[in-house]
Amino acid sequence: MLEKLLSPLARQGTPNHPHCAGSRREFLWQLGAGFGGLALTDILDRDGYFPPRAEAATNVTEHPLMTRAPDFRPKAKRVIFLFMYGGPSQMDSWDYKPELQEHHGKTVEIQTRRRKKKTQTILGSQRHFERYGESGLWGADCFPHINQQLDEICLVKSLYADTFAHGSAMIQMNSGRIIQGHPTIGSWLGYGLGSENENLPGYVVMVDPRGGPIAGAANWSSGFMPAAYQGTHLRNKGEPILDLKPKSGITRSMQRDLVDTLAMLNEQHRKTRPGYSELPARIASYELAFQLQMSAPEVMDLATETQATLNMYGILDPAPEETGCVGPEPFGRQCLIARRLVERGVRYVQIYSGGGHGDQNWDAHGDIEKNLRIHAPEIDKPIAGLIKDLKQRGLLEETLIVWGGEFGRQSVAQNGGKGRDHNPLGFLYWMAGGGVKGGHSHGETDPLGHEATVNRHHIRDLHATILHLMGLDHEKLTYFYGGLKHKLTGVREARVIHDLIA
Amino acid sequence: MLKITWVLFLAVIGLGHANLIRSATANDDYWSFQKPVRHPAPEAGQLQHGARIVNAVDAFLFQALEKHGLAPAPAADKHTLVRRAYLDLIGLLPSPEQVEAFVTNPSADAWPRLINELLDSKHYGERWGRHWLDVARYADSGGYETDIYLRNAWRYRDYVVKSFNDDKPYDQFVQEQIAGDELWPDNLDLDPKRVYHITADQKKHLEARIGTGLYTLGPLIHESRLDARRLHYETLTDWADTTGSVFLGLSFGCARCHDHKFDPLTQTDYFAMQAIFASSKEVEIPLMTAMEIGDTRQAYPKIVAIDEARKRYRLYEQQTAGKTLSSEEQTHKEKLLIDIAQKVLALPAGAASVPGTRYDGLMEIPTVSVLGHEQPALLKTVHRLERGELYGMKEQIQAALPGALAQATDSEVDLPKPYGSRKALALWLTEPDHPLTSRVMVNRIWQWHFGRGLVATPNDFGAMGQEPTHPELLDWLATEFIERGWSIKDMHRLIMTSSSYQMSSQHISEKAVQADPENYLLWRMPRRRLEAEALWDAVHTAAGTINLKMGGRPVVPPLAEDEIASLRDTFRWPVSADPQEHTRRGLYILVLRNFRFPMFSVFDAPVSSVSCPTRDVTTVAPQALWSLNNRSVFSQAQAFASRVRKEAGTEAHDWIDRAWMIAFARHPTDRETREALSLMDTLSQTDTAAPVDALAQLCLSLFNLNEFAFTD
Repeated sequence: MLEKLLSPLARQGTPNHPHCAGSRREFLWQLGAGFGGLALTDILDRDGYFPPRAEAATNVTEHPLMTRAPDFRPKAKRVIFLFMYGGPSQMDSWDYKPELQEHHGKTVEIQTRRRKKKTQTILGSQRHFERYGESGLWGADCFPHINQQLDEICLVKSLYADTFAHGSAMIQMNSGRIIQGHPTIGSWLGYGLGSENENLPGYVVMVDPRGGPIAGAANWSSGFMPAAYQGTHLRNKGEPILDLKPKSGITRSMQRDLVDTLAMLNEQHRKTRPGYSELPARIASYELAFQLQMSAPEVMDLATETQATLNMYGILDPAPEETGCVGPEPFGRQCLIARRLVERGVRYVQIYSGGGHGDQNWDAHGDIEKNLRIHAPEIDKPIAGLIKDLKQRGLLEETLIVWGGEFGRQSVAQNGGKGRDHNPLGFLYWMAGGGVKGGHSHGETDPLGHEATVNRHHIRDLHATILHLMGLDHEKLTYFYGGLKHKLTGVREARVIHDLIA
Repeated sequence: MLKITWVLFLAVIGLGHANLIRSATANDDYWSFQKPVRHPAPEAGQLQHGARIVNAVDAFLFQALEKHGLAPAPAADKHTLVRRAYLDLIGLLPSPEQVEAFVTNPSADAWPRLINELLDSKHYGERWGRHWLDVARYADSGGYETDIYLRNAWRYRDYVVKSFNDDKPYDQFVQEQIAGDELWPDNLDLDPKRVYHITADQKKHLEARIGTGLYTLGPLIHESRLDARRLHYETLTDWADTTGSVFLGLSFGCARCHDHKFDPLTQTDYFAMQAIFASSKEVEIPLMTAMEIGDTRQAYPKIVAIDEARKRYRLYEQQTAGKTLSSEEQTHKEKLLIDIAQKVLALPAGAASVPGTRYDGLMEIPTVSVLGHEQPALLKTVHRLERGELYGMKEQIQAALPGALAQATDSEVDLPKPYGSRKALALWLTEPDHPLTSRVMVNRIWQWHFGRGLVATPNDFGAMGQEPTHPELLDWLATEFIERGWSIKDMHRLIMTSSSYQMSSQHISEKAVQADPENYLLWRMPRRRLEAEALWDAVHTAAGTINLKMGGRPVVPPLAEDEIASLRDTFRWPVSADPQEHTRRGLYILVLRNFRFPMFSVFDAPVSSVSCPTRDVTTVAPQALWSLNNRSVFSQAQAFASRVRKEAGTEAHDWIDRAWMIAFARHPTDRETREALSLMDTLSQTDTAAPVDALAQLCLSLFNLNEFAFTD
């Protein structure tokens, strides 16, 4: 074994075993220790320093966010994932089902949970549907602003997932597995592509002001990958990033002195300990931490945005008079921050709409109409604004917007009431920008909108497609852990949904 | 129609599978499936650096170095060694007095004596127990939707700490965790005839049973509309995978879905491992005698009284709902509230008949979660599942040892059923010639000393893992371990007294860097960053605030509002009332699967979903932010400063010297003193609203230095 490890060939990269050979490369990698890698790594790329993709695991612990080349030319460079926590209804948004409305109140034999068929009462959508734009896609009237953008939007109406419960369904949507402990999409992108901005995290999460989603940080965990790949929670209140500012009452210039002294002492320490790359990496991380104190608040600060922009995102609009509705301001603010983040090269931004319990999120068990009255206006104008704003700035082409929840909802009334129960058998997602077809619809559910029937796709196909748009082959993006080469899409075969791609 | 299709589908898959089943002999000669062979250690006389050889560890390592034309680094200085030994064995910084005592002791046996002293410290078990808890995927909650609070998990944690402190033979440690109940069944119920006392034997056997707690603290899928079969299956999966990773050093995970491509492990082997555990279930047993339990029941009306007081308050709330209360009514309402509190305070905290006992929670009998047996009528069969998927049920599988491994030890594959199969597994694993058990453990010990195992994948000794860098040394250690009665402390003595362990980490040689930049050959001592908990402990030890109380319910330090923001239900972080508890060792801080203590999360603490054999060591800016800016770090820096003032008088020079000794176990250089003075000078001259304590800022800086976070 030793002979293998010590041979020059092996030192080109032993999976998951960091190595450093070559002083120039070492020097540059040593610097890549902040939230991101360095643009300098491009030089390395040209020099052919990067190991092939199969060995991407090399160096991840020491230089986790070094920029890495994709497998092929990407359509999208960044993702904004708008997560409707609780499970939004497909048949009350963009999966128009006239038959469902027609048969409202009739009974039907239907599988609701756990393989059992039961007699249930059909709950037709109370929403009014119309065709929009040149594409003529159908949209429900509770999303008037997003509907105006349907020509930019690519619907996937035939997704299915594996579990009826929020906790595991969310984990599956984020990590591909219903079991905790696996990396989430943002971690896979960070691992596969690195980060483009050394002053900001590559993977940012914003949660609803009413609270985090179920299972909390497990939804943006890096699982068995190093912590450098986990999502950073950008907070609404207080400091945007934990421990951003000194608590000791010292000024910035005083901290500058302190950080300089640290650098000096650390440098003396390093000189007597040659050959340990983590030492200069840590020295660099302090400088970056110091820089972050400026760059992070700068991203959050909307003062430089025009009135027109704020208005486009609904940030200036009052909340409608519906108990529990917080209005478009919080989500609008987060969408605008998301734009500012992707402008600065952040790879993956995830925003949660809905938090806490019951109707505080999209989990419409009691009354689907009431739930829509609460949540639709909270996201409608902000999301439409985000699409328009990215487009006018020329960013939409390379920014992939993904919209959806952990599952959809039933076409029948829950407990004979006005609400809908969870439904992973058929539900919709939509994407916009980032190389997908605008004004396009893919797949169908049955006439009641209950189960995916035409062009069915497990959510692993959605994951494969997201990776593909980002220039990554889901079969090749593997991470070796616990004796297994893991993939985001798991062991079952996943297919890229080529029909979505422009 | 649907039914027919389903059957057809199964048939097709089944047919397909028949082709996949292959003979288990494909890789039977894989090194880790062979019994360890003890080669004699190379002769000192034959080696260039033979004079420096202390024991076989050096002999094997030096031989490999020499073969590659390299030499071992010179010995580290005594200041470095004392800090290395303290942090490695007990995870605490040595005090300046302890440092002085060691460096001024000229005796030749000062080093082995220091090692023995540290091994005798009860804090040794905390340090090495924490290593084991990584492997055991320890947590105090179940994760998933509800993140169930595992109120008894900490008893397993304390069991682990005690086992390390007692130097419990490793074979026994393994046996207890897998089958403490089946091996020593007289622990099952505390003897009702002995109302006041438990016999010493029973106590030992009860302790053994607490070891099975390993299996009760795994991740727990608990969520609304739970699928009971899935829960059962996921539990068995966790139990089989944990057994494989922890004790066998084999990652079973892939065999769940298909025959292992490279190892001679079949899917049948995998489900046979699940079947070993299928007749077991988690049970909660009391840790009190019959008399003490009686005491509790005697006081039960006090609980009823609280409930009634609560109802009284709620009723009044209902009666006065929507009404503006008069001052008398308000007073009455408050009286009702106070009544609840008084009745809570009237509860006994422990059993009256036995002094010193304490109840759990408000007045719950202390219990422990362990493995027990399922009722015969409720036993479930285990089936091979197509692709490991719950509803792809195939033939029934009986409890059995993994075929190829059983062959290697000439053991019967079949196991007793329905009960007793865990016992058989535990005894088989701890047979002295088992090819994996001792190798896997000595490799872990090696890794926790040197940062990398002789096998770099400690949970995977299979073909997907790495082969050993020093196979003869690994086998020598594995056999030595057994010869020394599976004593872990003896292995520490062996490894740490070697001159290899005492090498300098600062040594550099061009030749070595060229030939072996990764230091696989161990031509110098690797430097290591402190793990999250060790860093926490070091900060509080330096500050002099560390509370070294051992054991008990997890402690919950307070968190700032933004630190706790991502937690959906803040009641899950119930802050400990006594501020003394906030500075306990990191080991004791509550481990929630859905919300890691923020500092630990930033410093690479494991996620606890599955066994974690090796922690990542990443360097990211949020770590620097924590050490520079976190509230609790700053308050510890202030405490550090007051300690320095108290211990070192009034001169800044003396402060600096003392602070350096506390943090780094050495005196500062002249240049460092100058830098420190200059920083303090600059900081005191700057205008701020409140005066800045320059010494506290200096102390904060020390926490941030690389030298603080690493051991040389």
